[in-house]
Amino acid sequence: MKTKPAPAFAFLSLVLVAAMVLAVGVGAVPVPPISVLSMAARALGLHIFAAPDATTAIIISQLRLPRVVAAVLVGCSLAVCGVVMQGLFRNPMASPEILGVSAGGSLGAVVAITSGLAAVSQLLMPVLTIAGALLATTLIYLLSSSRGTTSLLFIIIAGMAISALCGGLTSGLLLFARQYEVSQYVFWTMGGLDGRTWQHVLFSAPVLLPGVLALIFFSRELNLFSLGEEGAHSLGVHVERVKRVLLALSAVITGVAISVSGPIGFVGLLVPHLLRMLVGPDHRRLIPASALGGGLFLVVCDLVGRSIAPPFEIRVGIITAVIGSPYLLSLLIRTQRRAAGAR
Amino acid sequence: MTDAPSDSGRSAVAAPLVEASGLSWSVAHARIVDSIDLAVGRGELVGIIGPNGAGKTTLIRLLSGGLTPTAGEVRLSGRPLRELSARERARRVAYMSQESAQALPFTVMEVLLMGRYPHLGRFERESASDLERAHEILAAVGLRGFENRIMAELSGGERQLVLFAKALVQETDVLMLDEPSSSLDIGHQDRIFSMTQAIARGGRAVVASVHNLSVAAEYCTRLVLLDRGTVAASGPAEAVIRPELLDRVYGVRTLVTPSTATGSLTVTVVPGRALGRTTRVHLIGGAGSAVNLTRELYRMGYRLSGGIAHEYDSDEKLWRSLALYVESVGAFSRISDEDVARASRTVEESDVTILCSFPVGTGNLGNLKLARHARRLIVVDPAPGDVERAFFMPEAEELFRQLCRNATLLSYQDILSTMAEGRQSADTEGWAGRRSGPEAIRG
Repeated sequence: MKTKPAPAFAFLSLVLVAAMVLAVGVGAVPVPPISVLSMAARALGLHIFAAPDATTAIIISQLRLPRVVAAVLVGCSLAVCGVVMQGLFRNPMASPEILGVSAGGSLGAVVAITSGLAAVSQLLMPVLTIAGALLATTLIYLLSSSRGTTSLLFIIIAGMAISALCGGLTSGLLLFARQYEVSQYVFWTMGGLDGRTWQHVLFSAPVLLPGVLALIFFSRELNLFSLGEEGAHSLGVHVERVKRVLLALSAVITGVAISVSGPIGFVGLLVPHLLRMLVGPDHRRLIPASALGGGLFLVVCDLVGRSIAPPFEIRVGIITAVIGSPYLLSLLIRTQRRAAGAR
Repeated sequence: MTDAPSDSGRSAVAAPLVEASGLSWSVAHARIVDSIDLAVGRGELVGIIGPNGAGKTTLIRLLSGGLTPTAGEVRLSGRPLRELSARERARRVAYMSQESAQALPFTVMEVLLMGRYPHLGRFERESASDLERAHEILAAVGLRGFENRIMAELSGGERQLVLFAKALVQETDVLMLDEPSSSLDIGHQDRIFSMTQAIARGGRAVVASVHNLSVAAEYCTRLVLLDRGTVAASGPAEAVIRPELLDRVYGVRTLVTPSTATGSLTVTVVPGRALGRTTRVHLIGGAGSAVNLTRELYRMGYRLSGGIAHEYDSDEKLWRSLALYVESVGAFSRISDEDVARASRTVEESDVTILCSFPVGTGNLGNLKLARHARRLIVVDPAPGDVERAFFMPEAEELFRQLCRNATLLSYQDILSTMAEGRQSADTEGWAGRRSGPEAIRG
């Protein structure tokens, strides 16, 4: 069942790069993979292939590439945060949504849309999304902490309450919004990567990359959390501190990620589940593998969404859900059958 | 392995490895642990005993730093526990919790190596010697070859052994074990406690909460008996495992006997006794043939007496420990006619006399003679597996035939059901069911 980690990583990296090259190539104007490779080589200072023509170069560098890079960043972040939350809560169904990130982010987004701020600058909507997400998370955290300890069970309950509150406020604002604003919001909740520019990448990468790296540093602690908080504590983990850091990092990373793409479901659930089967439960392997796998998954889903019915684009959030849920179900059924057969 | 702690002022040699003073922990005004003082030195295996809810687990968690005391403090080699960093604490104390045997997706080896966490830097990987040590410890707990098994696929007992091994991999001077053998069979229980004993003797300190008092008495160098959060008694097993202490704390009647095989103390609970029966029953036994009947009739509340028994016979020992009236003669001596005459008074005063199934020779022929004095005699019909009724002299067999003519032959089960209904006093005809004949004689 479990493969050796090194080949798994090599495989994932290779497929990710191939998917990125393919994703840059596919679109209304097809770009041959050789042109993509040529540009990549040129960017590295290797002039081994003939340079692509100027239009192709602009399509690659200004339209397709930022979108693909954003997909990798967002997918990687969502998958890693999924793993971390699942490890922390010792539950394979946990996701950053417990922390109210999606509900708070949606409230921020609807505020940006209905107040007209979204129209002022492309970046104001992401900023308000992050603000909403962090506000909700902070509230939940404060509610669940008393006398220096944070109860994970209480986080789930407080998270549901705050999410419901944010959901109510969002609906209330939409009630008084104009029709096109409601459409814009609904469109946003589907999650999508169309029209993502280098601006989005440059704005989110400085948070997402160091954040994901920091989470990788906590792999060993996450392993120990599987023994329970008491077990981790007895082995010398500073449980409260680690819990706080992981919750905060997950909230910030997810908040920033959905500010780029809108809420995209299933990445944080499906990708870790798949990779657990490939590399095992050890977070020292699972988190880096999920980072690669999450990026790959979102690039592929975006690619599928763009190429099913051109010139229309099916939003990536829809694709992840439509591909993701049946696949997850089939996996669950297969593992259950195997477990039953082994018995 | 662990470097000597640098102490300010106090000598490291003098300070015990674990020292608790005035240790208390309360929740919502209920004091779970109340002002406990305890010092555990190198080489000691201290057993914490006490009934459920006495505070055993809470005390262990306080001592290992899992709980912060509401009053008092814990010192490790003289240094206050709360001043240690989490990592430093984990390098000195290992803790094995009672309910930690979850179904983890990790392999046994991965779990064992988690025990190295406090010794490793953030980017440091486990060394070859760490691995080797983990393999050795795994083999020592009896799980050789389990390295790559998944925890979730092990039995509860195997998981408990793995977690015990993990605590050993942690390589600390102090081990805190909360019910380390709660889901183990007796073989693994023995292994875990023998290992723990050896670890303590090797110069470390172990504190373990133990449910099984006989196990606690056998392995621990010292016992601490907890009663509602306070120390009711503390000291060597002989001083703590005493009925007068245990009866008060546990609220039952206990019997403490040295085990015949090992000499270690065995604690048994004397069954609750029905009250109000006035019927007197005399048991004639020997060679342990009366043990089961004695126990059952005692529980039913009959007023029992026994004999004539040879001293140190297992029947005699049981009767003595239950403080019954016993007619006895010296070990291996012959029961003389004077002995029979002396004991006949007791038999004549008894409403019922029960002749158990035992071999008869010259030494105890007197017991058959004694049975003739019975007002009502029941002869036990031995079931397969019971002590056989054998006769080593023709005289004995003849005597037994005579006895049977005026007695009721009943199996052990029949005696119990009849006695349980109390028919022997009200209904004389109750006995008339099965008149016995010579065919009852076996051997």
